[in-house]
Amino acid sequence: MSRPKDSPLPKRTIAPLFWLMFGAGGMLAALFGPALILATGVMIPFGWGLPQSLDSYANVLALARNPIGKLVLLAVIALLFWHAAERLFLTLKDMRAAPVWLLRWLTYGVAAVLTVVAFALLLAIGF
Amino acid sequence: MSESRPYLRAQPRHWWAHQPYRAYTIRELSGVALAIYAAILLAGLVCLARGPDAFEAFRHFLASPVSLLIHLLLLAAAIWHMWTWFQILPKTMPKLVWRGKLIRQDVMSRTATLAAVACSIALLALFVVVGANI
Repeated sequence: MSRPKDSPLPKRTIAPLFWLMFGAGGMLAALFGPALILATGVMIPFGWGLPQSLDSYANVLALARNPIGKLVLLAVIALLFWHAAERLFLTLKDMRAAPVWLLRWLTYGVAAVLTVVAFALLLAIGF
Repeated sequence: MSESRPYLRAQPRHWWAHQPYRAYTIRELSGVALAIYAAILLAGLVCLARGPDAFEAFRHFLASPVSLLIHLLLLAAAIWHMWTWFQILPKTMPKLVWRGKLIRQDVMSRTATLAAVACSIALLALFVVVGANI
């Protein structure tokens, strides 16, 4: 879209898209993060209060083959990466750790690649 | 005529590691902990796609003391993220008015934090129910 040079409207950017992903990931992590980490990383592997069979190959495969399960896995993995990318980018930018274009690639770029990897894996696992 | 020459105070090199910025740095870096957890889940997905043997190796890692230590650290970071996230929330959203009165920021933070704790407990309860029926 062409925008006149003297337009009073602010220039349009895609920044709100990144904020949206940052906010969604942050909210998801705030609401469910502690319980998710406690269940998948502590309780299930050691059988403390939850059966170890919960993350058996057959059960996790069934989850990853279910369309809703796929969506949940993709949402959790991708949104957490995008949330971290936004925070890390702004912090490293404030620290003047590297040129801004490089920081963009190292944060948003990595998040984008890993999102595609998660998406491709979920497709490869099948339905 | 008069050229603007604002005074720029010199900033120490590692300003972000000292007060009062340290708390901000720690809060922002809690996002990295969340990314590490997402990476562990993604590694599990890779192993799942490779087959039963690879996935067993992944489960074997999850049951190791190293993994337990990592997950306990991640858990602490996630709880810190939850706490700080809802401390920021009222500052980033429009003011809320209820029955003609402005809702105080600390009341919003406390209510939202309690709601988040309830969400986490509900998710754990779901895991217990699914685990009992599997």
